[in-house]
Amino acid sequence: MRKYHLVRRADSQLRRTLIFYAAGILISLAIGAVILACLGINPFEYYGRMFTIGLVGNRYGYKSIEGLLKIFVPLLITSLALSLSFKMRFWNIGGEGEFLIGAICASCIAFNSTGMPNFVTIVLMCLAAMISSGIIGIAIAALKVRFNTNETLMTLMINYIMLYVIRYIGDTKAPWNFFLREDSERPIFGSFPESAVMGGIPLGKFTLLWSVLIAIILTVIVYIYLKYTKHGYEISVVGDSSATAKYAGMSVGKIVLRTMFISSALIGLAAALTVSSAGTISDTITNDVGWTGIIVAWLSKLSVPAVFVTSILIAVLQYGCQAAATQYPAIDVNYADLLQGIILFSILVADFAANFKIVRKEDANNA
Amino acid sequence: MLDVFTLFLFNIIVYNIPLLYGTTGEIMIEKSGSLNLGVEGTMAIGAVVGYLAGAKTDSLLVAVLVSFIASGLVGLLFAFLTVTLQANQNVTGLTITTFGVAFYYFIGNALSNSAGGWPALNGTKLDAQSQALHIPLLSDIPFAGKAIFSHGILVYLGIIIAVLMWFYFKKTVPGLKLRAIGENPGAADSLGVNVAMYKYTHIIIGSGIMGIGGLYMGLNMGGTFEGSNCWINGYGWISIALVIFANWSPAKALLGTLVFGFFNTLRVQNAALAYAFPNALGWLLKIPSHFFSALPFIITLIVLIISSLSSKGRSGEPQAIGRNYYREDR
Amino acid sequence: MEYAIELKGITKSFGPVAANKNINLALAKGEILALLGENGSGKTTLMNMLSGIYMPDSGSIFIDGKKVQINSPEDSGKLGIGMVHQHFKLVERFTALENIRIGIRGEGRFMHGADVRKKIEDTAAKFGFDIDLDKTVSNMAVSEKQTLEILKVLCYGAKIIILDEPTAVLTVQEIDRLFAVLRKMREDGHSIIIITHKLNEVMAISDRVAVLRHGEYIDTVVTKETDEKALTELMVGRKIELSIERPVMEKTHPLLEIRDLTVKNDEGAIAVDHINFYIRGGELLGVAGIAGSGQKELCEAIAGLRPIEEGQMIHEGESIVGMSPKKILDHGISMSFIPEDRLGMGLAPSLSITDNMILKNYNETKGIFVDRKSARAEAKKVIERLEINTPSTETPVRRLSGGNVQKVLLGREIKSGPNVLITAYPVRGLDINSSYTIYDILNDQKKKGVGILFVGEDLDVMLALCDKIMVICHGKLQGVVNSDHTTKEEIGLMMTGTLNIINKEGKTDGIAKDSAFTDEEGSLT
Repeated sequence: MRKYHLVRRADSQLRRTLIFYAAGILISLAIGAVILACLGINPFEYYGRMFTIGLVGNRYGYKSIEGLLKIFVPLLITSLALSLSFKMRFWNIGGEGEFLIGAICASCIAFNSTGMPNFVTIVLMCLAAMISSGIIGIAIAALKVRFNTNETLMTLMINYIMLYVIRYIGDTKAPWNFFLREDSERPIFGSFPESAVMGGIPLGKFTLLWSVLIAIILTVIVYIYLKYTKHGYEISVVGDSSATAKYAGMSVGKIVLRTMFISSALIGLAAALTVSSAGTISDTITNDVGWTGIIVAWLSKLSVPAVFVTSILIAVLQYGCQAAATQYPAIDVNYADLLQGIILFSILVADFAANFKIVRKEDANNA
Repeated sequence: MLDVFTLFLFNIIVYNIPLLYGTTGEIMIEKSGSLNLGVEGTMAIGAVVGYLAGAKTDSLLVAVLVSFIASGLVGLLFAFLTVTLQANQNVTGLTITTFGVAFYYFIGNALSNSAGGWPALNGTKLDAQSQALHIPLLSDIPFAGKAIFSHGILVYLGIIIAVLMWFYFKKTVPGLKLRAIGENPGAADSLGVNVAMYKYTHIIIGSGIMGIGGLYMGLNMGGTFEGSNCWINGYGWISIALVIFANWSPAKALLGTLVFGFFNTLRVQNAALAYAFPNALGWLLKIPSHFFSALPFIITLIVLIISSLSSKGRSGEPQAIGRNYYREDR
Repeated sequence: MEYAIELKGITKSFGPVAANKNINLALAKGEILALLGENGSGKTTLMNMLSGIYMPDSGSIFIDGKKVQINSPEDSGKLGIGMVHQHFKLVERFTALENIRIGIRGEGRFMHGADVRKKIEDTAAKFGFDIDLDKTVSNMAVSEKQTLEILKVLCYGAKIIILDEPTAVLTVQEIDRLFAVLRKMREDGHSIIIITHKLNEVMAISDRVAVLRHGEYIDTVVTKETDEKALTELMVGRKIELSIERPVMEKTHPLLEIRDLTVKNDEGAIAVDHINFYIRGGELLGVAGIAGSGQKELCEAIAGLRPIEEGQMIHEGESIVGMSPKKILDHGISMSFIPEDRLGMGLAPSLSITDNMILKNYNETKGIFVDRKSARAEAKKVIERLEINTPSTETPVRRLSGGNVQKVLLGREIKSGPNVLITAYPVRGLDINSSYTIYDILNDQKKKGVGILFVGEDLDVMLALCDKIMVICHGKLQGVVNSDHTTKEEIGLMMTGTLNIINKEGKTDGIAKDSAFTDEEGSLT
């Protein structure tokens, strides 16, 4: 005889949700601590080091902040971009591939920009990346709209194809291949000329890269775009019910194409800013933002302010693991991914707890 | 001459059986109405845990069982989150992939850096047990004997699983009930089919099957751990696409694996083919190896587009796929 | 009396809403009990607790005098209860045989068919069902699907059979056949509960009637000792006039004329087949037909959401064929369609009332931003005018109750001031009071000179509300009748295609005498 059963809550309260989320994150960290303890590492010391991202007791603390921001900027922009398409219920999980094609095209400009003004080069790089990534996005959207091709798997395949494209470029010594260093026998990616390297505002020793400002401005723009503009309104209607959108006279196909173009182009922009900040390209340039961005977007429930906060948290987690790795060689950066996965699992549980409640069945013996 | 073909056919089977495991496992899950995008991660966990257990005990049987159980536990997690807790299937699946691959690297790196190091496969009993079997008579048939009847036991296990699954769906009542759940869980539920139990069972078994596929990949790669390249290497994703290609039929999955494997095998066989037929196939050498690596994904892309052009090709797709079932939803 | 089922003190709530409050109900062995109540009175919820879909919050259930716990449909089946749900629980891709096989217990794990098939065929023969066991459900007509559902529960050996609104999708003739089967089942010793809100059917089939109102149990009466009027009072709780107002208006010229319209459905089959009709201003034209006779495709074609194969559509002298939905809307044709799930088309359920108000005209303001200020004002106006019960204008539509959702939809359609209003199933799933509000809204529009096309389900309502009714069957026009000069039986015969009155008495129905078309070819003046 079952005495308890589950009932979906009629309302959803922000406060309750936040409490459950916080509890979920704490439990995840506890699980992570157990894993660390199993490997013979003091979890408090490790977490202490991770969350201070190596700032404490470091003369070059500003370097840590710079490093953190280099992870944060692409993650934030990619997550915003993915939120756009997810809001439309378009499962773009091709962030990696879209990022890579953008990075390759931006690098094409960069390697050939010697002597050009810095500002012009970077603008050109951004444009090249946005257009190339955008075209990939629009092509997949077109197939989805026209033939209802499964966009999840399509975007996924793009990830792998692009990975092999960049590996090919990186591995092939040839006269045409300007990506590689000419002075090296082995194929190694070259460095961008000065003209293509992102500058910033110097604040003492610390340099605040322009890309950080661009990312913050973009966050505001995307927020306004989704919340107040007609385009944003159309995206919410299409995402909520495409039959309704069609009925209201919206051309759903056009909206999907446009949004996917913007979404992929933003990822391309993230790529251009990343290669320009790094001053080079590599086959690990994405730092998995295409994947992590999905997790960020979902953890944030596709809300722009939440994406901003979550991106900071995940960036701290990732950079913190890198920083801690210098002291704990046994724990590599994959620990961050592992922890991310556990956190998301916990959040999924927390989400459930916030939306359902367990009801005790009144005993019916009195009847 | 003939040797090249024999070897080619042989390799098609050897290199692509993991796809069969991944695809049949995913078909089983999708038939229950759940879309699990976590194949890559599930296979990675099954591979690394199964391999380590096998290396420790030096037994293939243990390796297979442990990989089945480890991946089955991942399936249990997926089922718990999506069936009981009603979480979004796409997100849960993707997280399982992120988590699983990270788990693979994390364990691998931790072990490689430890005192004992990563256990090697070469020369162990585990290695011997997974090597090709010599089946009396059959293995001696010219051409086909080497190509078809000289494989490791896991190849045959994969084929047996596919055939059994086909039989299960087509001819048994539990199979019928499972398909009913994938089509219309409300209808199955109203007839007293325990939807949650069926979903749990089949998600766990399907995931377990994927795990064996992962183990196979690890063994096939000589069991060496590389810090930069996962054993699964995208095969989990291709498996998901193959499900569509096979129109959700385990029998067609077998066929799909071979067709697909043909292109996939070019990666390892292109040089041999080019040397054997310098005039006809010499051009194969001019194609960069990266292209062959990307070929499975390119083919998948094309298959996806083609299969979306014809609506008939998706007749096996469960109607309720991807949607969670909650009985009291009105 | 010996009871097959006894319910004592059953209570069930969904969040703050109590669907069933302390209900006591008894079903005698071998009787047909009608469970009567308005939509939303808790009939289906109560029965779903017997079928194991829901579990009661409190109260107890007795089967054959023994107290039982029903935690799942499986428990329910084992207790000999079988339910035919209003929305059929069938696997569309399976054959009839496979659908039945899913629930058969104890016949082994393999699908070797012969003896299982034999058993099913015997049961079918016993009750006089004519059914092809190898036919795929998706190829079946509605009445066939229902037959399959009933056969299913009989095959599982159910002794207590519950039918939820079984007549809603059937024609008059099919209903007669169903009732014959039910009587045969009663003779065979089955106990039957039939849920309905149609009084004439209650009188025709039941032995006793149990009445629910607003989730509460009112009374059980013996059918022979009561009449429709008394039942209505029990059901509605006060004496009400069962009459819907039908103002008579001065009719204008035809606003919308449809000539030879042919439209295909999603599967590419002909859904609307050379239909002619017209709507004048100040006229309410009903569309009657069995579910799925082309109503949806017709509405969508007029609204520009579906391409047409053939024919002409003239609105105030101008062809609207090939126009975009937006342009047709600007022309003054407004369409609202309430699908079965109520939210699928016309509203974005997760968006607020405000956002749903501007769904069709958000693009009319200048600039790139959505004008939410005036949208909010409009939402307020509609909420006041139609008395929509909502906490605020920013409440997501999903959180409103059914009646309020439909008022939001109609409110928006009327707000744009159309001269042709197409509305399909606007009272679907509403209780009587909400339905009357909707009828009043439609009549107000009619008084303003708007031409209204009303696609409906309930013939009684249509006869009362509509000036004329056009009847379609399989996408073909069967005739247009004047509500004052027809009967339900006549319409029923037309719905099944048995009767066709086009070209009877020398006139062609559906073509106006003062048509904007000049000649037979259908060219414009």
